[in-house]
Amino acid sequence: MPALEGKERHSAIRDLIIAGLSEEIMSDKELHIETQFIHGGYEPEKTTGATQAPIFASTAFAYESAESIENVFAGREFGYVYSRLSNPTLTAFEARMTQLENGLASLVCASGMAAISTTVMTLAGAGDEIISGASIFGGTYSLFDRTLPRYGITTKFVEATDPEAYRQAITDKTRLIFVETIGNPRLDVPAIADIAKVAREHGVLLVVDNTTSTPYLFRPATLGADIVVHSTSKFINGSANAIGGIIVDAGSYDWSHARAERIHDYQKRAGKFAFMAAMRSQIHRDLGACLSPFNAFLMTTGVETLGVRMQQHCENAQAMAEWLSADSRVEETRYIGLESHPDYGVATRQFGGRYGALLTLRLGTRERSFTFLNGLKRAQILANLGDVKTLVIHPASTICREATKEQQIQMGVTPDLVRVSVGIEHIDDIKADFDDSLNKM
Amino acid sequence: MKLTVNGESVDVGDGINVTELLKVQEVKMPDMVSVELNGEILDRDKFDNTTLNDGDTLELLYFMGGGA
Repeated sequence: MPALEGKERHSAIRDLIIAGLSEEIMSDKELHIETQFIHGGYEPEKTTGATQAPIFASTAFAYESAESIENVFAGREFGYVYSRLSNPTLTAFEARMTQLENGLASLVCASGMAAISTTVMTLAGAGDEIISGASIFGGTYSLFDRTLPRYGITTKFVEATDPEAYRQAITDKTRLIFVETIGNPRLDVPAIADIAKVAREHGVLLVVDNTTSTPYLFRPATLGADIVVHSTSKFINGSANAIGGIIVDAGSYDWSHARAERIHDYQKRAGKFAFMAAMRSQIHRDLGACLSPFNAFLMTTGVETLGVRMQQHCENAQAMAEWLSADSRVEETRYIGLESHPDYGVATRQFGGRYGALLTLRLGTRERSFTFLNGLKRAQILANLGDVKTLVIHPASTICREATKEQQIQMGVTPDLVRVSVGIEHIDDIKADFDDSLNKM
Repeated sequence: MKLTVNGESVDVGDGINVTELLKVQEVKMPDMVSVELNGEILDRDKFDNTTLNDGDTLELLYFMGGGA
């Protein structure tokens, strides 16, 4: 294999790093999303022709001279140094996600929580405030409610679907608004365009967590989100074999705005890449929540099948929701694809008639819910969603157990609630499993 | 006129500005390069109207590379 040295090598690495930003790749944005899942941001590797981005399982990268590595550290040349900072396998996944979310640039992290904490800690510091929808994932709620206040960052929680509630919570100290596309597990659907309008009017940055809807249902950047985050451990990965997260900068926020003062030094020298530069050169580098190259490989390959998986998730979940909502053994079935759901209209407009994999059931009492969970044969009881397998959990005793009763109500969590992430097994088998178990209650 | 760019001596036309220098030097993805002029970081919005002088020293630095 021909070895590249000196300037040639730096140029090759630079080309790899900027591959996802090049004009050639940008033109792929015209392609259908299903095609982008498979081809986005990556072309067969030039040296060997490998059709998958190779796993560069290397902690560090060697240089032929002291001058050469000095140039990379100085920024005069591109180069990989140490895999906490960057790695070619991570670059390939970042390039793909940048394209899938209509972004400017991306940064992968160790997990979805790492993506959120890195984003907030880059843009806010002691004395600053953020605003968040109240019906968010329990882990994110805990980060905002319990952990970040220890570092002087406070969160105002508001009714997630009410744009005016966000407006009323904005102060001079507000640094960002955080929203989930489908509240977990409340399954409420904020109108992203309406919240983006409020945010823009006040110069506040909008961060949207697109984990539960994925780019298959919609791309938040097209409705005004400035930053899009994911737990890629869920639908992006698909087979639940790795933890990961990503931050995508949509390129829409003006980093010279007073509310972005924490990164103004980076804005001066990095312009529109200020947020990425601040994370890569400081916050992400210093916090160290990096993704392993092996996990990045699993994400890049996993996302290739996102189109067909999501299509089947949506079809199965719709069928399950319609069947369960007509079943007298279930007190309430909540699914955003049911006309009875209060956000059905918003969801239909926002997601183009596709409604995702998540539904919840109320079964009357905690005991009946436990009996139902214990009676399932194939659906797995675990704390995850977005797997190809059907997954179930009792949120009140698990993922939301740290929340107070009042907070649980805000999150839509009741003692009898069961969350279901409908998988892509044959619909008749999922139904039969549920039917048998409902009979045992 | 002569400039020193990333430690190397470079001959360029008189009176060019920073944006023009990035073009002349064929810098790829100039959006991802920050510029130090005589030891000071130069604001990006001043690239167009900062005219360079003979003997200036510049560092063109990638801020998104692996060496961050």
